[in-house]
Amino acid sequence: MRVILVGFGVIGRGVISVIKKKREYLKKRYGMDVKIVAICDSSGAAIDENGLDLDLALEVKKRRGKISEYPGKGVTLEATEVIRSVDGDVLIEVTPTNIEDGEPARTYIIEGFKSGKHVITANKGPLALYFQELMSYAKRYNRIFRYEASVGGAMPIINLARETLAGNEIIEIKGILNGTTNYILTKMEREKLDFDTVLKEAQELGIAETNPYQDISGLDTAAKIVILANSIMNMNVTIKDVKIEGITRITPEALTMANKGGYTIKLVGEVKRNKLEVCPKLIPLDDPLNVKGSLNVAKLYTDLAKEVIVVGRGAGSIETSSAILSDLIHTYLQTSKG
Amino acid sequence: MILLDLELKDSPGELLKALTPISKMGINIHSVIHLRERKRDDKVVVRIVLENLEEDTLKKIVEKLEDRGIVVTKVNNNIRKMDVDVVVIGHVVDTDIRDTIDRLNRYGLVVDLDLTMPHPYKESSARMRILVDIKKLEGLCKEMEKISKEKDLLFIKSF
Ligand SMILES: NC(=O)c1ccc[n+]([C@@H]2O[C@H](COP(=O)([O-])OP(=O)(O)OC[C@H]3O[C@@H](n4cnc5c(N)ncnc54)[C@H](OP(=O)(O)O)[C@@H]3O)[C@@H](O)[C@H]2O)c1
Repeated sequence: MRVILVGFGVIGRGVISVIKKKREYLKKRYGMDVKIVAICDSSGAAIDENGLDLDLALEVKKRRGKISEYPGKGVTLEATEVIRSVDGDVLIEVTPTNIEDGEPARTYIIEGFKSGKHVITANKGPLALYFQELMSYAKRYNRIFRYEASVGGAMPIINLARETLAGNEIIEIKGILNGTTNYILTKMEREKLDFDTVLKEAQELGIAETNPYQDISGLDTAAKIVILANSIMNMNVTIKDVKIEGITRITPEALTMANKGGYTIKLVGEVKRNKLEVCPKLIPLDDPLNVKGSLNVAKLYTDLAKEVIVVGRGAGSIETSSAILSDLIHTYLQTSKG
Repeated sequence: MILLDLELKDSPGELLKALTPISKMGINIHSVIHLRERKRDDKVVVRIVLENLEEDTLKKIVEKLEDRGIVVTKVNNNIRKMDVDVVVIGHVVDTDIRDTIDRLNRYGLVVDLDLTMPHPYKESSARMRILVDIKKLEGLCKEMEKISKEKDLLFIKSF
């Protein structure tokens, strides 16, 4: 199976590490031989139709910061060109999320389908903004499109709902889908510190991004809610349909108040018919949604199985890459059947 | 069988006050179960099991109980009334807390209020417990939204 990887940051490198680590396992268990035929970052690409040396690729990126400096096989070709011109079975798209216009990922994904590749992405932007369009490309070119890692990182949810819970109608999904805000609220509650102090500390620890706006404003959760609504609940919505309130106004006093009444405060995303909302909510202290630290959690209400709850890590290089690997294996199994 | 969940004050005579009108109507009370695990504040929840009744008779019983100030939270597992909690953040007091409560009381009943004021200029927070008829829950939500916009208050809801 020939793979083109676009994006060689935290997740892109995680994907390479995971593939390296699981090489033998994939061969033995599935008869799957993964070749990375191209890796792109913002500098260009490294291309080898026989498969790149993954250790060398990681080394070059670490030492030089640019994959285009891969010895002998580095080029300064734009990713769109690489996707179009390199022969491959699967495109793994892990460039930065852009919730304004979904680019460059949207173009890369579409280019992938057009040039006959199945596509796997971890990128919320294009999914939250152009879900129907991307699905229609996948359909038109008869390609597989998977995006488990885009919501909840390593926590299984999209494939869980669509495959494992197949036959169930998903009536409602409610959850904590952003690890940064959960970390901040947990810390504020435990240590009675104010929002700004905890945010700063989280940034220093690398838990919150330098620009945390999308996380703390609820926008990131909203994008994920939209993906769930469209992919699991057959809705046709975009991020503009979500009512959003972030966590910047939460105070330690409010958390103490909530505690006194038997509750905690969490940034909760919720989707059901006629309701698409992200806002801080009172969650009973003994509720399964009360998970701590940077964990993610989701509660799915279904017609047959009733409640199903999943908890997991919403971020992290290897963790998130595990979801991408599972999409890759699924794609292989689907396409190698003959 | 008919199940009625009642919320009673945790003091002597309260249960009798609930049972008397029912037995006066000549209705058989099969059993009375204390749902202790659902005790909250100074309230207890009691489940009364009655013989099968006509819809009309049942309605009359519920009315009689409510006339006596007893809260009927569930009839046959259909929720009628519920306690909801909200934590409110903002200038809760300075934006006329009396008016806020009055307006919420049009849809439910604020039964409990807890306030903190960390600093006169800083935002304060309050916790309210509101008893609300399930049919009026949406109205209550809309009113909170309105107040939230007018007074720049953030309502963090348990529902
Ligand atoms: N981090 C997580 O835990 C996590 C969890 C779930 C989902 N995700 C999603 O996964 C995706 C990748 O996240 P990340 O944390 O790996 O981001 P990242 O560390 O910022 O890496 C982004 C990569 O994309 C490359 N890139 C940027 N613009 C490009 C362009 N125009 N063409 C080709 N490559 C380009 C960057 O190149 P340079 O290296 O040259 O800068 C970098 O290698 C995002 O969409 C994110 O939302 C991340």
